[in-house]
Amino acid sequence: MSRNALSRTTITATALVLSLGLAACGGGDGDQVGADAKQTLTIWGMGEEAKRLEEVAKDFTEKHPNITVKVTPVGWDVVGQKMTSAAAAGTLPDMAQMGSTMMGEFIALDALEPVDEKVFDKADFFPATWDNNVVDGVSYGVPWYADVRALYYRTDIAEKAGKGKEPATWDEHHALAEAYKKNGATWGTELQPGSTGAWQTWLPFLYSEGGELIGEDGKPALDSPEAVRAFERFGSYFEDGLAKKNFVVGRDVAKDFGAGKVPMFMSGPWMVQNLDEQQPQIKGKWKVAPLPAGSKGSVSWVGGSSLVTFKDSAHKAAAEKFTQFLTTPKMQAHWYEISKSLPANKAAWNEPEMQNSETLPVFEKSLDTAKDVPPLEKWTEFAVQIEEAMEKVARGADPAATAKKLQKATEGLVDQ
Amino acid sequence: MTSAVTEAETEDRAARPAKAPAGVTAGQPGGAGRRPDRLSRQNLAGWLYSTPFLAFFLTFMAFPIVATLLMSFTDFGLRHVTHPLDAEWVGLDNYAALLQDDKFLTALFNTGYFVVLGVPLTIGCGLVAAVLLNSGIDRLRTFFRVGFYVPVVTAIVAVAVIWRFVLDPSEGLIAGLGAQLGFSTPDFLASETLAMPSLIVMAVWRNMGTAMVLFLAGLQAIPAEVREAARIDGAGPLQEFRRITVPLLRPTMLYVSVMTTIGFLNVFEEPFVMTDGGPDDSTLTVSLHMYEEGFRFFHMGSASAMAYVLFTVVLAVTLLQLRLLKDKTR
Repeated sequence: MSRNALSRTTITATALVLSLGLAACGGGDGDQVGADAKQTLTIWGMGEEAKRLEEVAKDFTEKHPNITVKVTPVGWDVVGQKMTSAAAAGTLPDMAQMGSTMMGEFIALDALEPVDEKVFDKADFFPATWDNNVVDGVSYGVPWYADVRALYYRTDIAEKAGKGKEPATWDEHHALAEAYKKNGATWGTELQPGSTGAWQTWLPFLYSEGGELIGEDGKPALDSPEAVRAFERFGSYFEDGLAKKNFVVGRDVAKDFGAGKVPMFMSGPWMVQNLDEQQPQIKGKWKVAPLPAGSKGSVSWVGGSSLVTFKDSAHKAAAEKFTQFLTTPKMQAHWYEISKSLPANKAAWNEPEMQNSETLPVFEKSLDTAKDVPPLEKWTEFAVQIEEAMEKVARGADPAATAKKLQKATEGLVDQ
Repeated sequence: MTSAVTEAETEDRAARPAKAPAGVTAGQPGGAGRRPDRLSRQNLAGWLYSTPFLAFFLTFMAFPIVATLLMSFTDFGLRHVTHPLDAEWVGLDNYAALLQDDKFLTALFNTGYFVVLGVPLTIGCGLVAAVLLNSGIDRLRTFFRVGFYVPVVTAIVAVAVIWRFVLDPSEGLIAGLGAQLGFSTPDFLASETLAMPSLIVMAVWRNMGTAMVLFLAGLQAIPAEVREAARIDGAGPLQEFRRITVPLLRPTMLYVSVMTTIGFLNVFEEPFVMTDGGPDDSTLTVSLHMYEEGFRFFHMGSASAMAYVLFTVVLAVTLLQLRLLKDKTR
């Protein structure tokens, strides 16, 4: 039954211990290959994006015939483990696409090469995308694309319920959820109550109240009045029966949205395409809006990916060239066209590819005010603590007491 | 890694009473006239033949087992992934911390729950299926045999898809049947009280095939004369089952229960694919917790300690079973 799990443990344990010997032999800065020499640049890309990256890399090789780019696709679900194992065994590639929440871990592992800020200008990028990669004033990754959350809601059902107006505040959001439920929807809104990734649901509640994950003193700020208010508001949807208390692994929100069972949810820009493709019957019957505003306005959070170069790479000059190539406004706009990922470079939004869309301005506006998820070494654990607190609140626990416990549980996870 | 060793060990032990005739101990070949030089030609060939296995065993089994044990006494964490030698020796701290860890205790309790309910059910269902297939059903025997065994060899991902469909609260099989018959069905996997029983049912379905096949083999080894004699003495079918079949199946029973218990104590896949340990940790098992600690958070020290606690539990339970189910007729 658990043979697989245990043999996986065995294999990773073996890899880790074998690396005892290998770790000492990591390459230093001594043997760098110049940008003009003939070379192969290796880069890890995630999931679908790896395939598209390969296409784009061909254009790059046309301009720089001496540099061949080899893209290795890695699944999002296993990338954390694979990269950590590779770091242990000293087999990391030259570059990688790195998810925003993984940055902290790899900065702590001392595996990333700092970004040359003379080559890449902070001002070119949305602030949250850049800040996500900065620890102690040093930046370790160049923002590549941004994911920002927005609100998706069914306009047809809203109108039927007499709520034609876009929900601008959480109160209006709550009222719309109630109206949906009264008009035959199974749930007023989708809110992930717990389990992996649920923190993404709670963060907008916190940020729009002016709360922070990490306070100015460098400690978690999860029992601040803002955080308690965020938990209260989050919990109210479950208390009023507007959101499903129980999370089921592998649930497809788009399906329920299309069927009108759950006419409202928060998600990223990729959902636009998903809905167009998978739920064509509701075309024109839904809209994307900025996340509802709390007392400090509408504040979403930014995820996405950055481009990082590993410290042990011998092709840092070529890696810098490729990173530059991928983050030019033109290329970023082209990347949006083929992958629907939002450009992290602000100038890209003026390119022709980025016009003529109803949904894009919503995301652009959200990006301007969005905040980042601070890069934490133990982010995964930190997030699990938040998720467990959310689950308790969704099941009726007292928000203030839960926040207090959460604060205690997370204090040991920050600043070692 | 821990389970593999105990499994091999117990398999060996459990199988022995079944195979070896009573009172016969195998004579040791060449025991008396053994030559002192161990690397004689004959021995060399033997060593050569076993080298591939030994190399594999030492690299992928023995070494990690020892490494895990050592790691369980260190604070091996994420940062040590690139600098393993910096991990500090913390003695029994990891083990002491586990006893304070509510989550681990919950996981331990859940695993116990899973075993206490799941193992007897699996053995019971396997036995009943085997007895029926052995005597009652003639025509469709192969069909049923395959039917019960297929879940054993089906990939867990496929199993998860099927069971999600069965248990889905809105369009699942059970919900659909319930709606037809006019009563409402609960959301099994999302309920703290029903999630674990649902997984147990699923695990029983998945594992009874193995038990059934083993029991079938055991049943066929029971001499027809014994049954005949019982019948002549006036035993009904139930009495025959209780007084003849079950006692004579004892060696098989021992093997099946030991193997099933070990498998169930290590339960990982069912909660991993179906519930992710939720809702509210109600299906978090020791193996799943270990996996998360080790490979999501990279608390290798603590995860290794958990592995050894689980190993100790498996060993203790196995020894207890071997003692309790020992064949007392010999």
